[in-house]
Amino acid sequence: MAEITFDGVTKIFGDDIRAVDELTLHVAEGEFMVLVGPSGCGKTTALRMLAGLEEITSGTLMIGDTVVNDVLPKDRDVAMVFQNYALYPHMTVAQNMGFALKVRRESKVEIDRKVREAAAILRLTDYLERRPKALSGGQRQRVAMGRAIVRSPQAFLMDEPLSNLDAQLRVEMRLEIARIQRLLGVATVYVTHDQIEAMTMGDRVAVMRGGQLQQVATPQDLYDHPANEFVAGFMGSPPMNLLRAGVEGEGENAFLVLGAQRLAIPASYNTSHDLAAVRGAGIVFGSRPEDVEVLAGEGGDAIMTRVERREALGAEILVHLSLLDAEGTSAFVVTDEGKVVTRPSTLVAKMGPRADVKVGDILKVRFNPERFHFFDADSGASLRRV
Amino acid sequence: MTLARRRQFAGAVFALPAILLVLGFIVVPIGQAVYYSMTQWDGITASWIGPSTWNQAFHNPTLWTALRNNALLLLSVPFALGLPLAIAVLLHQRVAGWRIFRSIYFLPTAISWVVLGLVAQRFFAYQGTLNSLIHFFGFSATNTNMLGYESTALSALGITFIFTMIGTNTMLFLTGLATLDTSLEEAARIDGAGRWRIFRSITLPHLRRFIQLAFVMTVIALFSALFSLIFVMTGGGPGYATTTMEFLIYQTGFNQGDFGTAALYGLILFVLTAIVGVVQLRLIGSDE
Repeated sequence: MAEITFDGVTKIFGDDIRAVDELTLHVAEGEFMVLVGPSGCGKTTALRMLAGLEEITSGTLMIGDTVVNDVLPKDRDVAMVFQNYALYPHMTVAQNMGFALKVRRESKVEIDRKVREAAAILRLTDYLERRPKALSGGQRQRVAMGRAIVRSPQAFLMDEPLSNLDAQLRVEMRLEIARIQRLLGVATVYVTHDQIEAMTMGDRVAVMRGGQLQQVATPQDLYDHPANEFVAGFMGSPPMNLLRAGVEGEGENAFLVLGAQRLAIPASYNTSHDLAAVRGAGIVFGSRPEDVEVLAGEGGDAIMTRVERREALGAEILVHLSLLDAEGTSAFVVTDEGKVVTRPSTLVAKMGPRADVKVGDILKVRFNPERFHFFDADSGASLRRV
Repeated sequence: MTLARRRQFAGAVFALPAILLVLGFIVVPIGQAVYYSMTQWDGITASWIGPSTWNQAFHNPTLWTALRNNALLLLSVPFALGLPLAIAVLLHQRVAGWRIFRSIYFLPTAISWVVLGLVAQRFFAYQGTLNSLIHFFGFSATNTNMLGYESTALSALGITFIFTMIGTNTMLFLTGLATLDTSLEEAARIDGAGRWRIFRSITLPHLRRFIQLAFVMTVIALFSALFSLIFVMTGGGPGYATTTMEFLIYQTGFNQGDFGTAALYGLILFVLTAIVGVVQLRLIGSDE
């Protein structure tokens, strides 16, 4: 068991493709670290550098106290679970799981013992003599896990191990992998593009984009306090509502300008956020869909919206709203695979399953005043004071 | 007619052309060969003699020489497979200039074996390339004439054969390697395996079917496609040193005008080739 340290690790493919840019990340002993981000964000490249399958262009990568930049994969003592499992097709389940031990020249008795032990943990005992071909997707996935755990390695590396499974199995294996990881207490780096996996499995989550680390935090912290617009838009489903807005007024009287409407900013944000710097300029205002509430009756600090679309999901309804006066003058900023695109001002509200809303309804909504998010309109960075 | 019957009928109808082709071009000629093997046949008129021809033929020492030559040439098969395997693995590592090398190794495949035979003859000749090379490296007193001696002519033929097979087999193995999932190799590297171990435990098992196919093709080529090389390089000599079954059939039929015996030799060669084929099919079929 060991900790893992990326220190300014960079990978450049060809002449100028920066797949990973100055990644600095520390994974503690026994920690479950999830690397998450859209395709092409560099998360898999980072993992492959850790495995030794890609050379490191610059920076230092350490496993335990050893710098492993130039250490061959076979000497790194890490185990990896591949997206397609990469099971050896001509070997039985037992041989697949025992291959690393055989290479290490452990005794047959010892190999057999360890394989059976791992098989018991993974409920694979009945399948030990089968070939991978004769296994279901979920079983193959477990064999791939088994191959990793028999070795008692310094670290587990997992490259989207659940993405080839169907939805139900994925939920099962999510719990299973998390259980085994806690059982063994081995530092784990888990790559996924699925933010639900990231939220549910990781002790901490590292969000990447365009080769750069955006934020590392516990799942809840990431959700509650995204460091920038990208993280805010990436974590959570549906993503955070992000509205371009202006800030006017000062102190107690500060308010947001959303198109032609105004929304008071609770005074506490003047201290927790650096709003003074952007006064007069544009900012991006964020509010999670579950923080958008319909307000009945007169008064209250609210804005007027129109229902454009409703999606009933059973347990909840997603209601798409447009700001009443917007008509394309203000813009809703969405981040889509790393590109910022603007659309007419719409936002999504999560409502209870019995909410009585129809397309065309005019709704007065308020944003949970304790959960406002503010981002710099240019850099996208959160204005929250840390 | 029930649906099942109809399907059977349709199946039979569709199979008929293939059956006719097999009958017309394989079964009938084999039957004819059996018949002619028991006749005195000069190519035009055949007079029945009976199985005594067989007795005679098996007492002919040339037949045994030819069979022995065929058996000895089998020794070239491991090289005709091993060299291409090594080349393919190297090319697959994307060594510098692998594209050029790939074309170079494949080139012999595109050239007629007659031409290859002529080149090989020039290569092995007393005043040929081989001796020039030997002299170039300073062994000016050494002279070879491999095609000129009974003891070495067959080796020269075998070497030429290996050379002619390199292209096809290298391509076959490269194709096999291209179908190998790279993540398997990566998984093995992480599992602690070195290059040799990966080759032995991952690459080779994956290539098994490709090697089997190459083996069958190579052996069959050895038995039934060497004629042009022999004809051009040695004419079967010196003596009968490079006469294989295939060449013996030609000599017996066309040089000695004894088509009856030639037909018999043809049958023997057919049986030998068939045995190789069947054994190999069994091996492949028994897999899993």
